[in-house]
Amino acid sequence: MTPILQIKNITKRYGGLTAVNDVSFDVKAGEILSVIGPNGAGKSTLFKLISSFVPATSGEVLFNGGRISSLAPHKVAQMGVVRTFQETTIFRSMTVRENIIVSHHLRSKASLFGFFLGTKQAKEDEAAFASSADDIVDFLGLQAIRNELASNLPQGHLRALGMAIGLATDPKVILLDEPFAGMNHDETMKMVGLVRRLRDERGVTVLLVEHDMPAVMKISDRIVCINFGQKIAEGTPQEIRENEKVIEAYLGSEDAAIGM
Amino acid sequence: MEQIIANGLYLGAQYALIALGLTLIFSLMNVLNFAHGQMYVFGGFVTYTVVVQLGLPFIVGLFASAIVLAVMGAAIEKFLFAPVVRRSKRDESTMLLAAGIAFFLDAVILLFFGEKQRGVPKIVNGVLNLDMRIIMPYDRILIGVLAILLIVAFIAFMHYSRTGRAMRALAQDKVAAQLMGVNVSRYSMIGFALGAMLAGLVGGLLVTITGVNLGMGGPTSVKAFLMIMIGGAGVISGAIAGGFILGMMESVGLTVLSAYGDITYLVIFASLMVFLAVRPQGLMGKPWG
Amino acid sequence: MIGKKLLGFIAFLVVVFVLVPLFISATGRWDFFYTLTSVALLSVGAAGVWLTFYIGRINIGQGAYALIGGYVSTILVTQANVSFWLTLPLAGLFCAIISVAIGFPILRLRGVYFAMVTLVLTEVARLTALALPITNGAKGITSIPLPGELSIFGLTIIPAFGTLSNPRFGFYIMAVLLMIITYLVLWRIVNSRLGHLCRSLQQNEELSASIGVNTAYLRVLAYAISSFFGGIAGAMFASIAQSIYPSSFVVADSVNFMLYCFLGGLGYVFGPMLGTLLLYFGWDLLSIAREYQLLIYSGVMILLMLVLPNGVLSLLDKKEGSR
Repeated sequence: MTPILQIKNITKRYGGLTAVNDVSFDVKAGEILSVIGPNGAGKSTLFKLISSFVPATSGEVLFNGGRISSLAPHKVAQMGVVRTFQETTIFRSMTVRENIIVSHHLRSKASLFGFFLGTKQAKEDEAAFASSADDIVDFLGLQAIRNELASNLPQGHLRALGMAIGLATDPKVILLDEPFAGMNHDETMKMVGLVRRLRDERGVTVLLVEHDMPAVMKISDRIVCINFGQKIAEGTPQEIRENEKVIEAYLGSEDAAIGM
Repeated sequence: MEQIIANGLYLGAQYALIALGLTLIFSLMNVLNFAHGQMYVFGGFVTYTVVVQLGLPFIVGLFASAIVLAVMGAAIEKFLFAPVVRRSKRDESTMLLAAGIAFFLDAVILLFFGEKQRGVPKIVNGVLNLDMRIIMPYDRILIGVLAILLIVAFIAFMHYSRTGRAMRALAQDKVAAQLMGVNVSRYSMIGFALGAMLAGLVGGLLVTITGVNLGMGGPTSVKAFLMIMIGGAGVISGAIAGGFILGMMESVGLTVLSAYGDITYLVIFASLMVFLAVRPQGLMGKPWG
Repeated sequence: MIGKKLLGFIAFLVVVFVLVPLFISATGRWDFFYTLTSVALLSVGAAGVWLTFYIGRINIGQGAYALIGGYVSTILVTQANVSFWLTLPLAGLFCAIISVAIGFPILRLRGVYFAMVTLVLTEVARLTALALPITNGAKGITSIPLPGELSIFGLTIIPAFGTLSNPRFGFYIMAVLLMIITYLVLWRIVNSRLGHLCRSLQQNEELSASIGVNTAYLRVLAYAISSFFGGIAGAMFASIAQSIYPSSFVVADSVNFMLYCFLGGLGYVFGPMLGTLLLYFGWDLLSIAREYQLLIYSGVMILLMLVLPNGVLSLLDKKEGSR
């Protein structure tokens, strides 16, 4: 079976600076794979490359065997590879529910003109979006804040809303950018549970970038570690834990507790 | 050929000075000052009043323009822009305010100075003539040199004075500057005053040559926008480059294209559109400002 | 809820089609018809500007499209003898096509950059009208015939304006009808999926792309609709004035379109309509202040901005509580 996502020799240079250097790995359907690395290792750039928000200098990304790099970002999303953003990237002056409903765009069967005229198909779509949005609200436990304005939400809820937006697009692969950043232990554990359920109950393949090592160790099926833009290790959490290059990379940069 | 370059330099120095004020205000507050042209016209009228009606020397008029406009700029920032910026949901709201101020200044100019074209008598007489290749009146040379000196003084101020450095920090990164203890509201006011003062100074300089009238405000603003688009908004070097480039283009265009009628600006605009399609941030701007 | 809206709509129709004409004939201020016709047409143009605001772009170039629309209609009427009623949509379409070509590169610009380019666009349109032979340079095109009859299958829908005893009233009715249709379309856009997506664009273009929205296409679409409105407004204006010059729509007009939107409130579909009425009608009424007209007008504008920085219609929000 071909892997759902294949990253092949991808490289990104900004002027003289090489942010990502010849990185290759596969993501299998239905797994949770984490990309780790010290600050500035090129993780975020890698994510932008996979979701095609920045063009690669060389190399390519394949989704179900078809090339998706060099497509426009919205095309990549249409195919089912959807990115959520670090921090507070949401539609700020919409309510939680509006945020989720608008994100159902990809599931529209009616055309925009059909929506303008209010055709039967458009009305069916609207109803379907609304009920699916309510499902997602329930799934993520956002019932209490469904009609809050997004700009009024605290950090933790924003993260969940970001995930809800991603879910609304009905993704095959979801790219989560630092889902645990800035969370305390309890919040992190809740989020870990959520990401698991995303895969188990919704069948979404999860690719995530993260700093928080304990969470990554707990959640991941496999881990890819990059440093200075290069892949230095790949394997199960157990293998990564014992990999000397990984330990070196982390000790060499900052002696942040890796929590191993 | 030499004549075209000399004219271009002379025009460019004036333009750069106007653009500097506009770009300073933009970089500090993210406000597009629609009233910049009106401030320039106002400065011209102040010098005119001091020199022609009060009979004082030109230099006094120039100082008066600078002071009046600086005070006006500071007041506009403190009492109008600052409150609106604080309270509006979208920062574009400041555009309505800026446009309102432009209209208001037009009205004030109309009431105080009337609709007539006003000028100041030549401050020096005579014409420089180099072999008939460059012919330029001495007063233009003097004004051109003064403008260049002002540009140099402005750059030096921004680089070496405490105030200038604080403003540059603020323009680069508001949050970081705030963390470093830069008083944002104070320097926004100073920046606005300085930008308005520059506009007033150019008005004072040019009133001796071309004169000023009520209708010049709007077109001057449009030209100033052009310059900072060419150079890149919010960047000092960009404003200077934009000013000189526009001055040169105008000078060349008026000579070369005169056979085809008044199409210099059409050509300039069209080439700007193409340029911006390729390089949206201008020559020296940061992407998306 | 829907009943309430419908009631409001009917009340609005009664006001514009019955009460206003009654008031005008009672007071004998026939010139108000002309002012209100202008308000209606300007608010059609402002509706377009508002739509570009809705995708997060500051559009100070509507004057360019009004001018282009005016010229297209005029040239078709005077040189090709096309019926005015046919030239009206054609002028809009022409502007929409032009705006697609122009919008594709410049809509990548954001914020002040886009604003400045559109401002320049107005100037480009004026200078082009001055330079082209077909537009007759600075002399413009004058004595444009009044709109003729519009009939379908021999059934007269709109009588020829030349035959009307009171063409001013006829123009008023036409302009208001055009305005109502425009705002119904705009209202429908905003409340359909298209509008929701525009709003997502306004708030965060990157996120919008990542949920699969073709942002480039949507931006150009909104801009084309906006320019369509500008074009038909300009065409109607030229026909009413029976003349068009390169200076018929200049930078100041483009700025005014933007101001109408701001003043009414960018968050409200009917904001630009109210903004146009207040500013244009206010300006007209202030002519009694003679030389202080501009001073009072701009002073009030600045004051309004200080008191209500989010537009006049933001008054409604406060009543409804926080939102």
